[in-house]
Amino acid sequence: MIPFITIGLLGLLSLSIPVGIVLFLLGFGVDQFFSLFPLLRGLGNMVWSTSNSATLIAIPFFVLLGEILVRSGIAERTYAALDKWVSWLPGGLIHANVATATMFSATSGSSVATAATVATVAMPQADRLGYDPRLFSGAIAAGGTLGIMIPPSINLIVYGFLTQTSIPQLFLAGLLPGILLALAFMLVTVCICVIWPSLGGERRRFPLREMIGGLGDLLPIFLLFSAIIGAIYKGWATPTEAASVGVGGALLIAAMFGGVSLGMISEAIVGTVKITSMIMLVIIGASFLNFTLSAAGLSSEMRNLLENLGFGPLMTIFVVVLIYIVLGFFIETLSLMVVTIPIVVPIVTGLGYDPVWFGILMIVLIEMALITPPVGLNLYVVQGARKSGNMSEVMVGAAPYAFTMLCMVGVLIAYPDLALILPRLLQ
Amino acid sequence: EQLNVVGSWSSLPLHKAYEAPFWGETLPEASGGKITTQVTTHNEMNLGVADVFRLLGQGVYDVAMTVGDYAVSDAPELEGLDVPLVAMDAAKAKAAVDAARPMVDEIFANRFNSKVLAIAPYPPQVVFCNKEVASLDDLKGLKIRASGRMTAKFLEALDAEGVNVAFSEVPGALQKGVVDCAVTGAGSGYSAGWWEVSTHLLTIPLGGWDPVVTAMNMDKWNSLDAGTQELITDQIATKFEAPAWDSAQGALLNDIACLTGNGECESGDKRSMVLVEATDADIAKARDILEAKVLPEWAERAGADWAKRWNDSVGKVVGVSIASK
Amino acid sequence: MAERILLAVRIWNKRIALATGFILLACAGLVLVDITMRQLGSSLGGTDEISGYVMAIATAWGMSFALTELSHVRIDFLRSNTPQKTRVLFDLFALFSLAMTVAIIANQCWPVVATTLKNASTANTPLETPLALVQIPWFAGWLWFAFSSWLIFLSAMVLVVKGRFKKVEGVIGIASAQEEWL
Ligand code: NA
Ligand code: NA
Repeated sequence: MIPFITIGLLGLLSLSIPVGIVLFLLGFGVDQFFSLFPLLRGLGNMVWSTSNSATLIAIPFFVLLGEILVRSGIAERTYAALDKWVSWLPGGLIHANVATATMFSATSGSSVATAATVATVAMPQADRLGYDPRLFSGAIAAGGTLGIMIPPSINLIVYGFLTQTSIPQLFLAGLLPGILLALAFMLVTVCICVIWPSLGGERRRFPLREMIGGLGDLLPIFLLFSAIIGAIYKGWATPTEAASVGVGGALLIAAMFGGVSLGMISEAIVGTVKITSMIMLVIIGASFLNFTLSAAGLSSEMRNLLENLGFGPLMTIFVVVLIYIVLGFFIETLSLMVVTIPIVVPIVTGLGYDPVWFGILMIVLIEMALITPPVGLNLYVVQGARKSGNMSEVMVGAAPYAFTMLCMVGVLIAYPDLALILPRLLQ
Repeated sequence: EQLNVVGSWSSLPLHKAYEAPFWGETLPEASGGKITTQVTTHNEMNLGVADVFRLLGQGVYDVAMTVGDYAVSDAPELEGLDVPLVAMDAAKAKAAVDAARPMVDEIFANRFNSKVLAIAPYPPQVVFCNKEVASLDDLKGLKIRASGRMTAKFLEALDAEGVNVAFSEVPGALQKGVVDCAVTGAGSGYSAGWWEVSTHLLTIPLGGWDPVVTAMNMDKWNSLDAGTQELITDQIATKFEAPAWDSAQGALLNDIACLTGNGECESGDKRSMVLVEATDADIAKARDILEAKVLPEWAERAGADWAKRWNDSVGKVVGVSIASK
Repeated sequence: MAERILLAVRIWNKRIALATGFILLACAGLVLVDITMRQLGSSLGGTDEISGYVMAIATAWGMSFALTELSHVRIDFLRSNTPQKTRVLFDLFALFSLAMTVAIIANQCWPVVATTLKNASTANTPLETPLALVQIPWFAGWLWFAFSSWLIFLSAMVLVVKGRFKKVEGVIGIASAQEEWL
């Protein structure tokens, strides 16, 4: 069954059939060839109960929040302000890309939305200032992945939802690794641009007065982050409800900046519906495939396989990491999570690992999957925002950052406290 | 004969200690290899809890088990299987379930095209409070996390406020005062560390006993020969249902001992929650509310026929009666 | 004719998306009101249940819009390296797979509604929402997705037969410069 799934997945994907549909088709195949039961009859219930979810409504809310920030001009101001602070570094504006992505990660729950936000405001600058398009766009794709590591995070909500792990604790756990990863991205950029200065474009210094003046433009994002995270930790709202606090906050801030109009809101909600449906087709497809796979016995097959390898805890973690890296090349990330969590997490926690820590480890791997070809959603988003050039340029540009994430995986395994210290301190 | 079996929550003791061994080993061995099984659980299959018996009826798998309360969307009359606060110990709960069995058989045949094989208990659903609580009356005005429609209605009648919080968020919610009390099995609350964030343990089964129904697709059942049917019925009654019930009371007492520190705790360290036991006044009060409000409302949802049948069976056993309108 | 159909589907999807979006926005508002009221000591109750229904219905009705906006994720590495006529074949085949799959999905969604109608099912919550009330709009959304994807597929076929490859690629291809990605 595993060869069938692998070949089927790669074959159908390369035929450019929509990813969500590919997952359904594989589910049909498993039902037809590997199951004695009429699994197809479960399809309707699967579609209903997967999408009838008060947890997943965080997806449209977070997307909407991002839409409002872009369309009200707040995103652009944030970018310009950060540009003044970090563009003196070797690599110049590339650091502004990472910094803006980090800021937006703190209000956005989705990596795709974060990358799209930054790409929209940053891309027009690349040609104008003579940057190498590869590293410039790669940094946006990679920086965008922080959206699911730095709280809030849809993927951590889904992880907590599926594994019965506390979502606020997961959010706390993601904060330090997320910031560290952002700093590592900047460090890598500096190193690359010191070795090959032509990649970095122009370094620019701004007068201190302008730098301080720009701080005001960062205020909206800080306020929004405080509102979302504050609502969760004060116990006013659940992590999903906090997404609606974000929407309300974004509208309020946009109104203060004079950016709210009926036309703007219409565009924002239409964009939200589009992206939400795109994501949901994949999630529903993944749920159905997962249902057929476990009904056909693959889940227990996989579990037995992993258990019978007889590896110690550390070795098992390495195997799991390897599996995620390989699968991450080919599978869209939310489906990757939904399909693997029920199999992998019980094994890992059974070995004595903390589910909160493993959630963060998985998020780094998922972030990697977002920027590794051929299926890397953030690469596509950034490429989509470019007006010219080839997809492979973005892939090459993202590679050093993917390698940085791999190092981060190692660091997390060696120092689990990096993730666990905040939840423990604030418990 | 190959049976595809879908168990209840994979992480809970009922599945690990009884369901998985029974369907995975006991029954196949007893059949001398005639029956083979493949066992998974509804959470591993990513199934919505309300869909488990729907899909069983459609023949998506052969055998399924889950809490009866999860299926009341499709069968309001099934709520009568688990009325909160009428059975204070396992023996009484067993008697009530036995009395309800013919009704449950009929409901499953009509609504879910399935044959009921067994009804086993989950741990009774007790109340963890982070507020000083001495009696049922003290719950008035508090924010309580509970599940199940009848329990929610009972809390409404008690003037308490039902709050919806995911299981994994309960400790945080108790700590921050988002909820004052939360209902779950004593064992689950112990292993999930709820004793860290709550002070008082009310051992009244506010959430009922959450009986788990095991059923087989009716077409599958009818396709089995009489000998196999008998084998399954016998085996499941003696090797699954009976032991699960036998251990229920002991497990409850053990879990309470662990949480409060009164008595022997076999599952780990003792904790020191304040034990609040139900008084006769509490029981009387609960009955009043049930008879005056909660059960008559249920009778409207389910229909007068079911109310009458309930009165004549479960009602007799537990000493509660629904007034006819 | 084919072009008029394609345009009509597109326009209708846009209207539907607008309506769906406003429902989502209203839902966010409802949740906000509930959060505020809880701070004041009362509660609307059941907003999480309602959010779930909104999500299911919004998802179903948004699917076709995402299709006409070319937003459903497709992997491009093989397709993009072929000449236009082959690209259009890729697009047609992908759309055919989608239309088939969605027809199967919509077909399988009906029994869910039928069971709900037969049992007069209500939500297992204090609200006791009649499930038909929310499942029928949800089912209708999937039905529209199936119907509109077949309409688009057949119209695209007609255009291919007429040899209008450039037009077809614009309607069912992969968006090249999606500045409206967000
Ligand atoms: Na985030
Ligand atoms: Na990838």
